[in-house]
Amino acid sequence: MTPEWLSFIVLAVASTATAIGVIAFKNAVHSALSLILTLLFLALFYLQLQAMFIAVVQILIYAGAIMVLFLFVVTMLAPEQDEQEQHDRIAWQKAVGSLLGLVLVGALSYLLFNGASSTNLPKASAAESLSNVVKHQGNVEAFGQALFHGYLFPFEVTSLLIVIAILGALVFGRRA
Amino acid sequence: MANLSLWVLLFPLLGFIILGLSGRFIQRSAVLAVACGACGLAFLCAVINFFSMLGTPVSGRVSDQVVFNWLTSGTGNGPSLTIGFGQYLDPLSMTMLLVVTGVGLLIHIYSAGYMEEDPGFWRFFAYLNFFIFAMVLLVSADNFLFLLVGWALVGLASFLLIGFWYQRRSAVAAARKAFVINVIGDFGLMLAIFLIFVNFQSLNFSDVLKNPISINTGTITAICLLLFVACAAKSAQLPLYMWLPDAMEGPTPVSALIHAATMVTAGVYLVARTHVLFDLAPVALNIVAAIGGATALFAASIALFQLDIKRVLAYSTISQLGYMFMAEGVQGYSAGIFHLVTHAFFKALLFLGAGAVIHALDGEQDMRKMGGLWSRMRITAWTFLIATLAISGIPPLAGFWSKDDILGTLLAQATKTGNPGLYVLWGIGLLTAGLTAFYMFRLFFAIFSGRYRAQPIAVEQEDEDEEAVAGHHHAGGVYYYYIREVPPVMSIPLIILAALSVIGGFLGSLSLIGLAKWAPLPNFLNAVSFQGAPILEASTAIMWMSTGLSVLVALLGFAVAWVLYRKGFSYKENRSPLYRLILNKYYVDEALSFVLIKPIQGLGRVVGNSFLEGGVLDGGSRGIARLFRGVSKGIRKVQTGYTRNYALGILLGVVLIVVYYAVRG
Amino acid sequence: MASVPLSAYLIMSAILFTIGATGVLIRRNPLIIFMSIELMLNAVNLSFVALSHFLDSADGQMFVFIVLTVAAAEVVVGLALIVSIFRSRRNIDVDEMNILRG
Repeated sequence: MTPEWLSFIVLAVASTATAIGVIAFKNAVHSALSLILTLLFLALFYLQLQAMFIAVVQILIYAGAIMVLFLFVVTMLAPEQDEQEQHDRIAWQKAVGSLLGLVLVGALSYLLFNGASSTNLPKASAAESLSNVVKHQGNVEAFGQALFHGYLFPFEVTSLLIVIAILGALVFGRRA
Repeated sequence: MANLSLWVLLFPLLGFIILGLSGRFIQRSAVLAVACGACGLAFLCAVINFFSMLGTPVSGRVSDQVVFNWLTSGTGNGPSLTIGFGQYLDPLSMTMLLVVTGVGLLIHIYSAGYMEEDPGFWRFFAYLNFFIFAMVLLVSADNFLFLLVGWALVGLASFLLIGFWYQRRSAVAAARKAFVINVIGDFGLMLAIFLIFVNFQSLNFSDVLKNPISINTGTITAICLLLFVACAAKSAQLPLYMWLPDAMEGPTPVSALIHAATMVTAGVYLVARTHVLFDLAPVALNIVAAIGGATALFAASIALFQLDIKRVLAYSTISQLGYMFMAEGVQGYSAGIFHLVTHAFFKALLFLGAGAVIHALDGEQDMRKMGGLWSRMRITAWTFLIATLAISGIPPLAGFWSKDDILGTLLAQATKTGNPGLYVLWGIGLLTAGLTAFYMFRLFFAIFSGRYRAQPIAVEQEDEDEEAVAGHHHAGGVYYYYIREVPPVMSIPLIILAALSVIGGFLGSLSLIGLAKWAPLPNFLNAVSFQGAPILEASTAIMWMSTGLSVLVALLGFAVAWVLYRKGFSYKENRSPLYRLILNKYYVDEALSFVLIKPIQGLGRVVGNSFLEGGVLDGGSRGIARLFRGVSKGIRKVQTGYTRNYALGILLGVVLIVVYYAVRG
Repeated sequence: MASVPLSAYLIMSAILFTIGATGVLIRRNPLIIFMSIELMLNAVNLSFVALSHFLDSADGQMFVFIVLTVAAAEVVVGLALIVSIFRSRRNIDVDEMNILRG
């Protein structure tokens, strides 16, 4: 068993467990913490896949900023939720949802297993290939080059998107 | 020879169209001008035609003028068919045209007075013109198809006019009854036309009705019998007579024109026109004569006890039509047509006189409530008396000559062939003559002699408008001193018809009194129209015997009526069952209703209302609505309102797509 | 055995995605539903990065970058919405909002 496989399996089991924790915990704070762990394990996945910059960005932004936001709101609303565990009016949904989930994962796995064989993947040409750039210039530079050479327009648009999100939050967040 | 018969046809049609479209909006005088003008012009054209025909030698007196070719079909092989609309003018149709337009014109003038207060004035005259058009079409058509068209249109005109006061249930029911029975006749005529076409390959009179005919007798008999079914329906013979007494619901001028003088004589005309076929089918002729005789006696027996003056005249009409068919049944066609002409005169006069009485008495038709009108309505009384004498067959008025002609023909045929049935028919004719005299004089005395028997009661004024709409309606009786003679517009036609009833008899053969050369009408007809029919001449002794007996019987009838009713008609309730039976017209209508009509109506209700309309139509459409509602009620349940359910739906869709790709491979 | 094949990563991504989807269906607390949605987004990110590695192209990482940004914006607005709903109803059970139904 190569180290690669070993780490993959460990990370897989761990992230699956924490993911299930996200949806299973009754307490919302526990769910949020579980999600943070899942994100962490995913970052480790990214490291394994040689995507260093993305891994760090994931931890910084996702686990660091977004989940903090979540925790703010969860803790703000938490005391009120616990009193209101009312009877589930559509109890059958749990069973049907789980069943559907099983079917989905089965079908997707089957598809992906058959469809994705590494031998006939269209790899990028030598000059543009990522590994080449990384080898010569380093990881962050490779990411930066790809971003500002090919994806400049989406980059600018995301800044616009962020502005709109801020405005939206301001509007919704006002009192009455 | 001029053939203006197209104009005779078109003038009334134009009158109908003009009145139909604009009659509502124009003044009464304009309506009258159009209607009487149309009929008058038609009569004028008929008269011109007549004189022109008189001026032509005998051989040229047939004119078959084709107006347009309607359809031409068939190629060289196999039978081809050409049907065109044309007018056939010969002495027979000439006679009919004169009678129809002449008597029609008189009745148009009379109606101007009779229908004066009716709100449907314009409609009445429009329908009258339509009727004249249809009748002219019937008698002047030159092929069987347009004869059928005229036949049916005349039935329609009769329906419209009988039901003229459509707010009355009884009138509408009577109109419907007349139309239904007429349709039976139409059916017989259509079957006959089919047979004619199959055998003769043509429908034109000139092709079908020429000698010699080489079709086998059985087929000819069938054709003749079917034609006679049509005649029986139209001319109210047994067993299709029930509509005519009920048709008295219509206004009296309608009864005079349609149900006395013209429409009901269409059957007599048809037999006379197709006499070539009848001559070849002795069986059919026998049936015609037998039914004619039976009807004459049957109707006369009912007329003896009727209490409504118009009903008496209706049954009298049926009886006299039976006479005409008796004559035609022994091939005395010109005798039958002669009686048709004289009957038109005095029967129209009788009806118009009765109408005058009804008009003066403000709607009263029951003879128990009349009497003593001789001194109040002189002109009506005198003309009515002349007509009664004529119909009873008292010489020298018209009815005597024509009735005697028929009886003489019957006896001549009887003695020539020795057929006992013909003797029986002659006996029936004689007996019926006596009965006719009796019930006609009973009618006369009931209306005009004795004391006025009505008990008038006061009536509120507000009913008047309603009654005006529903026609002459019993207003509760008129006080004696209010009864007045009818205005001249009504009495002058009476006088003219009375004059015709007196001199009309001299159209026939005077061979009885030795003037064998004087026979205008028979000569006119026989030479051209009835060429193949045998000439029936009996010995003078037999003729005198028949004449003498008929006059004797008529005087006997008059004498009985005189004795019984001279001082007026006092109605005593008679309980005897035979009286009840005849008074209720032998319960024929009731029997038919029970056996035939009610079951069919019930069946119609079940099939139509419950099954077709209720089940299929209503049920079907309601069922479709229920289906949609049910489906939507079911599908609505998907909208639960829970967001999670909708998310489940989305995921379900995704799963289905993924599974599809997985399965597809 | 060879190195971990691409299909393993993709199947991993599918598993995480399914877990997230199931979470959306099962839970009634909108915050946890939101977290499940974040889980789904991250599963997709994983498959993007895996593909970027195996196709030797930076495009996958670009996508991840953009998805990350969009997820952040979405979380901001979504949480603000939830807070404002809570302010007006004092209750954030999604099942309570079921008036639009047939």
